[in-house]
Amino acid sequence: MTGYIIRRLGQAIIVTLGVTLITFILLHSLPGSFARDILGNRAPPEAIAQFNHQNGLDRSVFVQYWYFLDHLVLGDPAHSGAHLGYSYQFNRSTDSLLANDLPRDVVLGGLSLIFSLLIAIPVGIAQAVRRNGPLDYAGTGVSFLLYSMPQYAIALLLIQFLSISFHIFPAEAPQQASAIGMLTHPSGLVLPIASLTLVTYAQFSRYMRSSAIDTLAQDYMRTARAKGLPERLVLWRHLLRNSLIAVVTLVGLSIPYIITGTLIIEQVFNFPGTGLEYFQAALRPDYEVMLGITVLVGVVTVVGNLMADIGYAILDPRIRY
Amino acid sequence: MRKGKQSFLAVAGAVLVALVTAACGSSSSSSGAPTASAGPTSGPGLTQPTSPSGSKVSGGTVYFTEGSDATPNYIFPMYSFAVCSTTNANQLMNMLYAPLYTYGENYRPTVDYNHSIGQQPVVSNGGKTYTIKLNSWKWSNGEPVTSRDLVFWMNLMKASPSTEWCGYAPGYFPDNVTSYSAPNPSTFVITFNKSYDPEWILYSELSQIFPMPLAWDRTSLSQPAPTTDNGHLPDAGGKASAGSVYKFLDTESKKLASWPTSPLWSVVDGPMTISGKLGGNFTSSAQLTLVPNPDYSGSPKPSIAKLVELPYTSEAAIYNTVRSGGPSAVTIADIPSQYAPQLNALAAEGYDVNKAASYSFNYFPLNLNSGASTSPGGEPVRYVFRQTYFRQAIQHLIDQAGWIHAFLYNTANPTCGPIPFAPPSPLVDTSAIPFSPCSFSPSTAKQDLTSHGWNVVPGGTTTCQNPTLCGTGIKKGEGISFNIDYQSGVVAVQDEMNDLAAQAKKLGISISLTTHPFSAVVAAGTPCMPSAASCKWTAENWGAGWIYGPSYLPTGEPLYNPGSAANAGSYVDPKMTSLITQTITGPLSQENTALATYAKYTSEQDPVIFGPTSVGTYGGYAATLVAKNLGGYAANALGFLQPQYWYFTK
Repeated sequence: MTGYIIRRLGQAIIVTLGVTLITFILLHSLPGSFARDILGNRAPPEAIAQFNHQNGLDRSVFVQYWYFLDHLVLGDPAHSGAHLGYSYQFNRSTDSLLANDLPRDVVLGGLSLIFSLLIAIPVGIAQAVRRNGPLDYAGTGVSFLLYSMPQYAIALLLIQFLSISFHIFPAEAPQQASAIGMLTHPSGLVLPIASLTLVTYAQFSRYMRSSAIDTLAQDYMRTARAKGLPERLVLWRHLLRNSLIAVVTLVGLSIPYIITGTLIIEQVFNFPGTGLEYFQAALRPDYEVMLGITVLVGVVTVVGNLMADIGYAILDPRIRY
Repeated sequence: MRKGKQSFLAVAGAVLVALVTAACGSSSSSSGAPTASAGPTSGPGLTQPTSPSGSKVSGGTVYFTEGSDATPNYIFPMYSFAVCSTTNANQLMNMLYAPLYTYGENYRPTVDYNHSIGQQPVVSNGGKTYTIKLNSWKWSNGEPVTSRDLVFWMNLMKASPSTEWCGYAPGYFPDNVTSYSAPNPSTFVITFNKSYDPEWILYSELSQIFPMPLAWDRTSLSQPAPTTDNGHLPDAGGKASAGSVYKFLDTESKKLASWPTSPLWSVVDGPMTISGKLGGNFTSSAQLTLVPNPDYSGSPKPSIAKLVELPYTSEAAIYNTVRSGGPSAVTIADIPSQYAPQLNALAAEGYDVNKAASYSFNYFPLNLNSGASTSPGGEPVRYVFRQTYFRQAIQHLIDQAGWIHAFLYNTANPTCGPIPFAPPSPLVDTSAIPFSPCSFSPSTAKQDLTSHGWNVVPGGTTTCQNPTLCGTGIKKGEGISFNIDYQSGVVAVQDEMNDLAAQAKKLGISISLTTHPFSAVVAAGTPCMPSAASCKWTAENWGAGWIYGPSYLPTGEPLYNPGSAANAGSYVDPKMTSLITQTITGPLSQENTALATYAKYTSEQDPVIFGPTSVGTYGGYAATLVAKNLGGYAANALGFLQPQYWYFTK
């Protein structure tokens, strides 16, 4: 296992470098001018040239990429040792932006992921056990409804009913800068987390149901029942564990989603996070922020997959690396 | 010009923005001529501050909505292009650091001597020298505001490349300043290279100057705070030394997290302070808290306890917060234009609707130097664009009244030229500026073409039949085809461009449409030479235009003079240049006439294509909602927040 993890980490570095190179080239192929965007259309050519020179933008793409890698590893001395670039729009390093956003994202995405799993796993199993019964049909109907609804529609509906019409919960997330500060205002977290949870639940419950149905048809399930094991233990010891492999895959793939996949929720609920940061950086464009977040997401994606692989081994002793 | 609140670019007043106001009568008939009545010119919050019933109370927190993706990022009030935004200038700097002159008397874009540090300048030396007496103001550290603080400003500006400054136009401020001095603490003297119109100097050059406290005159925080007594004032040590001071202040200004605790930025002379010791703050999520400066020298003194500027991630978030939280959540809210139809519902939460327009105008340029051809193998389209009659024809295809009604929710003002019809300005008589050159009239457009040698084929391909009449560079049989690249993601702009292309097709003019993000459109629309590879663009519409600031007189030197950076289409016209010069150098007695003449000529020549101008305090917004219990609120014509006038009632 240790050797496997080391090999995977080595692969991760190569994959991440490849992602950064491709992203770097693609970003520099975009139309427009970073300097013009920052300085505005009134800035004379001299100011544009000066800005490009000061920030190394007049050098070749490959030289710029080399400096990017250099700063990634050693830090940018011109910007307080920032590793992930600098935002000229915010006059802040990408490191600083992410340090502010990431903990909040983890609260939002992490809690919604946990809640959705806590709901989806038992519901999915219950649907599988009572397949083609009223509970299964009802669960399937709810899942399809939620799955087919755009995320923003769910969010706006929740705001309309629970915030605007009945004033039960606030329409915006807590505005505290820190994640801990946000947790001290839980009422503001209800709607954004609920919006994400509902969508994610629909996805997970379908996978869980499908996986549980497959597991129920296995010989070992029949054996467990034949030897007189109580149904509760059959489900707990044999069905749940073996059915979770598919969900673990999904959870592993969802890890980067926690960071950048909550864009809509961040926009609607006034929840500044990494997803929104990336989206706005793409519009401006703020190359270094985009690159910095790309590196982060690349790393997290690899880590998420690695965690999923390790999870397989824990759930199924037959799996060895 | 200053970057718009939302865009952070040197453009303003997003078209899509416009709003509410025009509902009060901005729509013009097809040939109608909107006048100053196109926008609201009177009413609570405009000519008169809000004055709710109930007794005035001290204290209370005003919550104000920052624009989405538009949070302050610079505090030092000597700002370069990179940080030149209304967000920085209007919503932060000007409240902390009082400029030499305050602009915007309620809803009039004029200087406000009663609330300025500087008194009315005295002109001498044949119109070259301006002597400015200073009123008795103090910094929050107890030091007086003196003319030396203005010399400090000038020393730093002169020490750095002038091309960096937000208000820079080649040959003008500070290039045209030959000397400046402080003969005594309350007198500042500045001399220019020649005689200019004093009004232009006041509104376009002196408007850029802020007194700066000597506590800032250092190159590191470890130095003791300099004062007039200790004699250590590096800004006076020559250009290199002053440049070091500027570099230090620029660097410190970019340390956003340190603003509330920095010994620099807590030295203020404006009505508010960000000092953390007094309760000011700026969080890592860009929520700004300003509190009254207890040593403010101006009048009135702030009555509110706090001004909190709230950052938002989207326009939907602003709407939802106002709709669900009402005045207890947001006291003053700029409502995005797409929510104009919901204004009544929002107002019912406890707000007055303020329909002020910004001092701006919208347009998009045609590239008169474009290297693109009218067709594969055809002649460059720039020869067509250079014909005044052609630009006039395109202008007549802009259905401003229809666009405002159908695409902009009646929230924009018709526009014809660079001088806004609203807010009203006593500096220029807009009634003398005709709208007829910009009226929607396809028949006039057709006449423009046929009378200049074109065979108009509706729905087909209009071609030049008489090159002599068509104009220089246009050959017989040549058609008219070009592309308009416009900002993506804005439905109103998309609808407008589709309509324009359809109208053009009816005259046999082929307009193709492409879209790109705002930044890409702005970046493409820059002056260029025909031979340059980057000069293939033909028309760029970034859905916005121009907002006046920090030059507040609506003259055209940054817009239509040859070589000006904002002259995106490379328009060149000696008569235009002459008229612009008249607005700058003419005698004061003829300023109003010169501005009107320049505006009239511009509307007739169409150096750019004018379109509806949004209303809203900063442009891009449908209206400003003001809580019904907030008194003293007036829409500053130039978009400055003035919390010293605000108070709550109970």
